[in-house]
Amino acid sequence: MSEKTFSVSRRRLLTATAAGGAMLAAPWAWRRAAAQEKPRELIVRAWGGVWVDSLNEGVSKPFTEMTGIAVRHDLTEDNEIRPKIWAAVDQGRVPPIHVNWDTSTNATKSALRGVTEDLAGLPNLKEMLPAATPEGFDGVPLVNMYSYVYVLAYREAAFPDGPPESWDVLLDPRFKGRIALYDDGIGFHPVAQIAGGGTMAGVPGDMQPAWDFIRKVKEQQPLLGEDPDFTTWFQNGEIDVACTILSNARAARQNGIDVAWTVPKEGCKVDTDGMWIPKGLPGNELHWAKEYVNFAMSQQAQQKWTSGLGLPGLRPGLTPPEDLEGDPAFPTSPEDFERLLSVPTRVLVEHESDWFQKFNEIMQG
Amino acid sequence: MASTIHDKGAGRPVGLRLLDLLEAARELLWPARMAPLTPWLFLLPAVLLTGLLAAGLIPLLDASLRPLDRATFRLAEDYALGNYATLATRPVYGVIALRTLMAGLIVTAATLALAFPYAWMMVRTQHAWLRKLLLVSLFLPFFIGQVVRAYGWLIILGKQGLLNALLDGLGLPPSSLAFTYTAVLIGLVQYMLPFAVLMLAPALTAVPVEVELASASLGARPFATFRHILLPMARPGIVAAGIVVFTLTLTDFAMPEIMGGGGNDFIASAVYDAFFQLGDAGLGAALGIGLTLVGSAVVGVILAFFGLGTLGYVEGREERS
Repeated sequence: MSEKTFSVSRRRLLTATAAGGAMLAAPWAWRRAAAQEKPRELIVRAWGGVWVDSLNEGVSKPFTEMTGIAVRHDLTEDNEIRPKIWAAVDQGRVPPIHVNWDTSTNATKSALRGVTEDLAGLPNLKEMLPAATPEGFDGVPLVNMYSYVYVLAYREAAFPDGPPESWDVLLDPRFKGRIALYDDGIGFHPVAQIAGGGTMAGVPGDMQPAWDFIRKVKEQQPLLGEDPDFTTWFQNGEIDVACTILSNARAARQNGIDVAWTVPKEGCKVDTDGMWIPKGLPGNELHWAKEYVNFAMSQQAQQKWTSGLGLPGLRPGLTPPEDLEGDPAFPTSPEDFERLLSVPTRVLVEHESDWFQKFNEIMQG
Repeated sequence: MASTIHDKGAGRPVGLRLLDLLEAARELLWPARMAPLTPWLFLLPAVLLTGLLAAGLIPLLDASLRPLDRATFRLAEDYALGNYATLATRPVYGVIALRTLMAGLIVTAATLALAFPYAWMMVRTQHAWLRKLLLVSLFLPFFIGQVVRAYGWLIILGKQGLLNALLDGLGLPPSSLAFTYTAVLIGLVQYMLPFAVLMLAPALTAVPVEVELASASLGARPFATFRHILLPMARPGIVAAGIVVFTLTLTDFAMPEIMGGGGNDFIASAVYDAFFQLGDAGLGAALGIGLTLVGSAVVGVILAFFGLGTLGYVEGREERS
């Protein structure tokens, strides 16, 4: 309560100071203040379930409390919003959202298309780890916010002797028809490469071991779905094993579903998500969208947001959630990351579509 | 009285003066000499709608001829057949197309087989309560969306679903129907049934009950009456229902997505994946054009085989003339 009172007082003080300064600095400052007029709301695209809940608690709610600007979350799938934004920018229309919370790979595709605003000037950017800023661009078209791991999630009751040690468990006849992967195979390609006897050096040049392993997995009749499907399938007893993001497995467990996770000996794929702002926003809305992204990088927001997700943020000095401390699926040190399988974003951008097609070809065959 | 009607003066009723005004406006906009074209005027909305759809195919065709440039994630400026080559050379698209066509045939056959007796019963029953029951049962699913119905089926067919509870109660081994091709077909048949019944019912109503009675009185068994009387006379409805069910199945997205478990995609799923998952609008457009061509070709073959008259218009007019 006292914190809230302090917060309001400080805001009033800041507002009064800003207003006084603006009066003294007229007319330049007056024009700038007009350009930064607060919009009624900001629209931020997000994933549903634990993802949007964490964003809301960690970033959106505090942002609204600080600025008075409402934040509306648009739960359109990241793949579905992308063509809408691209079309809006190409046609000179105002894009449908202010901030896109996106996978780094998809965000990079949008950056290459030239539809992203430059975020280079955001003050909190310099506080982030180097991995937050993508390489190979003039400026900063997107900011990576945290990393995440595609773990091997399993139903504990199906593994009375302890967690599975290898991704080979997907080939166990006991689990035929009771395993699940993402419908485009995302998160599984590097794992299949190693489990199939290949090396990361073979990515992307020689991925035959991955395709051979995925063909064997296909014989196990896997279910293919999206984030919410995994929770439902575990809950309904449809599956025993799945390759899914740690946040989904953790949220399911926190909701009383019999799910645990592990990083098998072959490792797990690690990736990053980020935020970007589409071009074409009115000046004041662009300003506040940047303020939102900047706030998402703050210590306070990163701590609460990424703790909710159960993912390591890309800002130094964050405290891991108690239940994930020391968990290899929650990497915090270089040694932790060495156990995981990372594919450079530029490789993903260039080849991921081919991998999706190849995966689809095997699974639909 | 007659002089009052033809009187153009101020004493005429307002209604008649308004009609005169409308008549004058009609004469101005559509003079009497244009009368032979009047039937075409009524076709105008349909022509406009079809034209709009056809016009929509032009940008789709344009996009389908532009491969994706992965350096900029924009479609190439120059035309090329790369997207169609991808469809031709990647076996997965052939598999998906064949699966979709097979589903179209199976669902159409199964739906018509179930819808025909349902519609006949609905039309012929002497019991008002039974007709109401059949009508309510038919219309209830319309109030429930396809997605909800698909999830309903998963509750029934799932590993811990109602079907397995029943089988378990009977001491039988559990079924694994959920997330299979069979599950998709079951869901589609249930979804299509009301459409087929609604198209068959008018066709069966048009068959006089006396014809069936005459057939029976001449010694025909029920199956013979069905085969030689009902089936031929209801052919317009059967063909129309078949075309509707087949084309709806061919383009369905939700059922294979939800009930197929990810491994039983239809062409619509491939179109979605190309547009959204791969971000390749050119490939998605090529798939869309392909789907349109396949659907149109199949309907064209059906109409060529049965003749346009099977829909009950041309032949009827020729017979009367």
